[in-house]
Order: sequence, then structure tokens, then C-alpha cells
Amino acid sequence: MSVTTFVDAWLRALRGTVYVPITPAEQRELLTGLTRRMAETLTADRFDAFPGYEVGVDLVKHEFATPETLGRTITVMRTQLPTLVPSLADSRLTELIEALTTGFAVAMNDRSLDGQEAVRMAALSARDRAEQALRDSEARFRHFATHDQLTGLPNRTRFIERLAEVAGDDVQLAVCSIDVDRFRTINDSLGHDIGDQVLKIAADRLRQMAVGYSSASCEVFRLDRDEFTLLLTGISTPEEAGKMADLALSLLAEPFLVDDSELPITASAGVMETITTRVEPGEILRSAEIALHWAKADGQGRWRLFEPTRSAADAAKYRLSAAMPAALRRGEFTLAFQPLVNLTDGRLAGVEALARWNHPARGILAAGKFIGLAEDTGLVVAMDDYLLEQACRQAERWIHMSSEPPYVGVNLAARQLHRTGLVGYVAQVLTSTGLPPENLQLEITEHAVIGTDEQAVDTLTQLARLGVRIAIDDFGTGYSNLACLGGLPLHALKLDGAFARNETSRPTTVDREFVATLVKVGHTLDLQVIAEGIETLRQARRMRDAGCDLGQGWLFGAAGPAEDIDRQVQQGRSCLLGPAARPEAYRPEPYPVA
Amino acid sequence: MARSYDYWLGGSHNFAVDREYARQVMSALPGVRLIAQANRSFMHRALRYLLDQGVRQFLDLGSGIPTLGNVHEVAQRVDPESKVVYVDIDPIAVAHSRQILADSPGGVAIQADLADTERVLNDPLVTETLDFSQPIGLLMVSVLHVVPDSNDPFGAVERYRDAMVPGSHVVITHGTDDQRADEMHAARELSHKTATPGSLRSHGEIEGFFSGYELIDPGLVWVTQWRPEPPDELGHPTELTFYAGVGRKP
Repeated sequence: MSVTTFVDAWLRALRGTVYVPITPAEQRELLTGLTRRMAETLTADRFDAFPGYEVGVDLVKHEFATPETLGRTITVMRTQLPTLVPSLADSRLTELIEALTTGFAVAMNDRSLDGQEAVRMAALSARDRAEQALRDSEARFRHFATHDQLTGLPNRTRFIERLAEVAGDDVQLAVCSIDVDRFRTINDSLGHDIGDQVLKIAADRLRQMAVGYSSASCEVFRLDRDEFTLLLTGISTPEEAGKMADLALSLLAEPFLVDDSELPITASAGVMETITTRVEPGEILRSAEIALHWAKADGQGRWRLFEPTRSAADAAKYRLSAAMPAALRRGEFTLAFQPLVNLTDGRLAGVEALARWNHPARGILAAGKFIGLAEDTGLVVAMDDYLLEQACRQAERWIHMSSEPPYVGVNLAARQLHRTGLVGYVAQVLTSTGLPPENLQLEITEHAVIGTDEQAVDTLTQLARLGVRIAIDDFGTGYSNLACLGGLPLHALKLDGAFARNETSRPTTVDREFVATLVKVGHTLDLQVIAEGIETLRQARRMRDAGCDLGQGWLFGAAGPAEDIDRQVQQGRSCLLGPAARPEAYRPEPYPVA
Repeated sequence: MARSYDYWLGGSHNFAVDREYARQVMSALPGVRLIAQANRSFMHRALRYLLDQGVRQFLDLGSGIPTLGNVHEVAQRVDPESKVVYVDIDPIAVAHSRQILADSPGGVAIQADLADTERVLNDPLVTETLDFSQPIGLLMVSVLHVVPDSNDPFGAVERYRDAMVPGSHVVITHGTDDQRADEMHAARELSHKTATPGSLRSHGEIEGFFSGYELIDPGLVWVTQWRPEPPDELGHPTELTFYAGVGRKP
């Protein structure tokens, strides 16, 4: 038997027991080599079975590595080797098989252990990879959630996190809220693409500023549309925050080059500077934003430092302003009436109706506390309308009480002069209440008629045509254009209370003559002149001497309920006998500003 | 599936759960180890055929645990410059491939679903390793029958074909129930409990994967009948449940 025949038999036996990644020719070559080694071992003079061990290892190494491979190989050895090797001692064959089996088993064991180790390593590595991928995607998601996509700056979420991080320590920090002025106009007129570019440039400038800022740690965030926020930590002096705001605003004031054109841009900022443990983190940002609001209100292009007292006053005002619409619906606004008295004979000539707010919590509020707010919110129109009707209704009652009933003076907000429906509404109120027009005096502040435009003049003219009296209120405080005054259809001038009060101190000749001149101006224009704010008899006399026709003030009665006036109307004269009879007992109080 | 396959081939790169599944399939489908061996042998014959045709780049989709006769070893023995990308859906198989490839410059492995052609073809490792202006050998050995119709395996094969230049080849083996249907269905049932449930297809359906290719002689045949190299033709043709074929993009 030749080696080739033996290898043929071996290969045949192994068919289907194993897959080896080499070609049949290579398999044959391998098994031929192994066969030769076994034959040499068996025929050696001095028998040593060790090469059999190596054959077993080699089989496994070349992937002849299934249990069946071993079984078939033993069978082939047992049946074929005695033919290949003549006069083979059975003990040698047995020893060779033992060696081969041992080598095969050892190699198989190692192979299994290696394989197991490799697959476990692979599993670990796969898990690491999966975890890393998860961490990466979490990090990506986190970045996405905490950063603004347009500018790449950290966003509001991140800012709140950072603030919470630093707020734990008792450190001095500052938050600066920056807002591009008139950004909406840029967006609306130039388009959102330009607006976005402006924001990107602004973000870059602030980012660079923060990097180069050495005296403290500065971080930049984009909180909202055009609102950027700087977080300054590690500052040593309170002035630090102001310096930073100055720097930021000056950087943003540099021209913005967008699409080959220069956009002049300014920004405003609000600064909140504090020791972290003293203020809630949420409060810090809110404070900076309030200060930003102040900066905007003060004319933009500047920064303001947050001041708690100013903020408290703002908040109180805001609450009052917010409560107004409901108060109007509930009829909490009422009128108080104050007499206008003829300074010569003490007769009751008119009554001014003053707005009051019967506030459920704060009691009766004078007009000065809320008229400004009502003007800001625009509610003043509805309020005026309501109060005008009430006043006219009241004045109409007085007509039936006296042969010389007083007129009623009603304040009109400046913006009313630009309201188209005003004249019609006044006419309608006069009709519905039955009050003769000459018994109504509409009072407009001097400020309202400064630089009066055509529409306002037109409104005044139409009101005058109705027969309604028109008076200038607080005259002498607003630098009236006297030339303009002559062209207006007026009936009365009300001299500001300051002129009467001035008389209480030591009036100089100049003061007196000044008042006399104002009165003369009024009389030249054929206007009734009314002195406001008269608190003492002495003042009343002086204003009378200066030529004033009527007087109004605490001396003649504080603003009170309609019933007080009713009595005076019936008597035909004011209650001068009240406080005036004992002037020394009368303590003047601040005159309510109408 | 990759690790059970390794077990059928006599490998030890598998876990107890893989061996349990592998044994269940073995009892449902006697001879599955022979089939696995036959598949692997065919792949090597086909690989050598492609190397003879001058193909030096290989995209091995569903490469599994490449312990026995790695494509890159076979290819690089012929030409050390040969490039191979292994793709598998199983992260452990991929991690294992990476271990093996640690010292092999021409071979890389990525984890992806082969049906996600967009992802595979645009993966930076793939585009860096393979030159799509040169012929590529696309290997899909014993894998398409675990891509259900709902994942559009035919579309995927088409998209790979469109990405390759003429002279590229596709190598496919695919499980079928054209014979031994009951046993194959039992095996399929078992696979439905795994992450890669099987979809058996007929000879006609499998030929569909070669659309746009010229089938190399002898066409789509039982896996042992494709250019057998004696004494490699294992098993009787009536026992076989896998078709094999090689196509060339004209």
C-alpha cells in the first residue's frame, strides 16, 4: 500500500465530517505529510510516539477539528496503517493512536477555550461599543437640547443649569441680558435670513469677547430670538458687570456687514449683580430682564443696572394696571367733586369732577395713582367715557336745584383729542343726560395742547361748536406756545397750583407780577382764569388780587361726594365758612394732582 | 444566527444560547451541519473563481463569525492588496471580526443591516476601503433568506448592483423549501424566535436576485453542484436545501 492510497482512504473517511478552508489539493498535501510522519514514527528503530501527538495537534490546527474527524481518523489508522507499514507492532500502533488522540484533544481544548475567549471579548467589545454609541447619542442629544442651532451658543436650558451650578456657592456673579434693538424691524423689513445673519454675527462677537475677557469668567448664551445673556462669575467688584455690559454694547454697536451692506445696529442690556446665595437663580435672570426692559424704555442702546426698589414700584404699578379693566367693569371707578368758587363773591361757579378708584384692598385711590397707568394701557378712553357720563348726569341734577347751576369740569386725556368718535360721544352724552353744553367744561392739560396738531385742533373746534366749554389745565407748567394758544377755541385757563402755593412762602414782586401777567394773557384771550390749589385765605386773596376769576382748592372744599356739592348748589355759595372761618385750624394737605 | 452557524461548522465562538438553538435546528433539520459545510465550501470555490476573474475587492454581507477561512485571508493569499469589507447585523460578530482584522490592513468590518444599502454604501469605512470604479465581489452567502420581503431584499440587491461597475460579481446561496419542505418549515419556525427570522424562497424567486447579472455556468444550482472540486461534493442532491449561484454584471 502506498502513502497515496492511505491518504485517499483517509480523505474519503473524513468527507462530510468537517469543513476545512483549504482546497482539496491542499488537504491532500497536508494529510500526505502527516501520513509520512506517522509511517516514519512507526518504522523508527527507537520508537517514540510523540510525533503522533503533533499530528493530532496539526489536524486541529488545520481545522480538521470535529469529534467525527478524530473517530474516523482512528478507524483509518487502525484499519489501514498495518497495511501501509508492514509488520507493525500492535503496541506501537496503540501508542501512536494514544498520542494522536491526546494531541488532538489538547488542541481541541485549547481551540475551544481560545474561541470562547474570543467570542466573550467580542461580546464585551460589542457592549462597550453599544454603550459608547449610546453615550455619544446622548451627548449629541444633550448638546442639541442645550444649544441653539443657529448660533451654536448654549441655550436657555443650559443657562439655567449653569446658573444652578454656580448658585450653590456663595459667589458674586452678574447676569447681563442683551437684546438687539428693533430686531423685529430688521426681520420684518430685511427678511429672516438677514435677521439670522445679524444674530450669528452678534453671537460671534459676544463669544469672542467672552474668550478674551480676562478679569472674570464670562459665558455667553442665547436665550431667545434676539436675547443673549452673559453669565459673569469670579468678579471682584460690582463695577465689573457694568464694564462688561459697556464692552458688549460697544461691540454690538460696530456696524454689521450683511450681504455687502452695513446695518447700523444697537443693543440694550440689563444687568443684575448679586451674591448668589441671596437671590433665587430664577430671580436673577428675571431681574436682569427687568433691567433690560428699563434700558429699552430709557431709549435703547444703553444698559441699566437692576435696582430692587425700582422693580418693586414697577411691580406694584403693574398689578394696579392689570386690575383696572375688571375694576372698570365692576364700577369701582367713581367721581369726587370739588367746587370752583368765584374769588370775588364766593359764589359757586363750577365743580370739577375728579376720578377716584374705590379699590377693594387699597381703599380710595386718587386719580394721580392710576390715571397715568390708564393712559399707558389705553384704558383711559373707556374710563373717561364712563366718568364723563356720570359727571354730566350729576351736573344735570344741579340744574334743577338752582337758578345759577355750576358747570361741571371733566378731565380729558390727551389721546382723546386724536380719537375720531370723541365729538360724537360727547354730543350723545349731552343728549342722553339732558345737560346743556355750556354746563360742561372739558379740561385738557397744557401738555396735551403743546404742539397741537391739526386733528387735535379740529377736535377742539368741533367740541367748542357743540357749545361745550374748554379749559387748559395745569397752565403755566408746560411752556405753552402762547401764539398757538390764541388760535384755540378756549374758554378758561386753570393756573397750576404751584402759583398759588408759591404765595405761601415769601412771594417776591416778580412772582406776583408773573402771575398777574399770566392772568392778563388769559383775559386778553377772553378766557376765564381759574387758580388751582388754593389752600389758605391768604392765597385766595392774593390770587384774587392778581386778577383770577375763580379759585379751587382745599380752602373751598376738598373733593367729596356729590351730596356735599348739592348743599352748596342749594345755598348758591361755597362752604367758605367751613375751613375758611378758622384758617389757623386748617392744616393744608398735599393737593391731589389731577 | 452567525454564532449558531459557527457551531454547526465546529467552531467554539458561540454561547450556550446559540448552541441550544443550533441543536434545535439540527434535530428539526438533520444534516444542517453538512449544509453549513457545503455553504462554506461553495463560498471558497466561488471566491477563488472571482479571484481568477481578477476581482480584488470584496463586500461580504452577512459575514457572520469569520473564523474558518476568512475571505481576506483567502484573497490576500492570492493578492496581498486585496480589500475586504465585512458587514453583519450582529454586533458581536462585528466586534469579533474587528479583533481578527486588527492586524490586517485590507480588511474592515461594520455593523449594519444589509437591507440598509444607503447606510452600507455610504459608510466611511466602506467608501475608504473599496474603490467603486473597480469590480467588486458582492458576497451574500447564506444570508438573503434571513431578509424578509418586507425589508425588500430584491431592491437591496439591485441597489448594490447599481453601485458596482461591470465586471463585478455577486455570490449568493439561499435556503429553499423546494425540497424537504416540512423540515425546512420546522427550521423556519425555530428561526422566528430569533432576531433574524427566515424567509425561504423558490428557485425561481432566488433567480430574481440575479436580475441584471449574467449567471455564471452552471447557473443557480444545489450548493454542492456549483463547480465541485472532488472530493468536496458533499451530500446527495436530494438532501440539499440551499441553492448557490454566481452572477457577473455585464
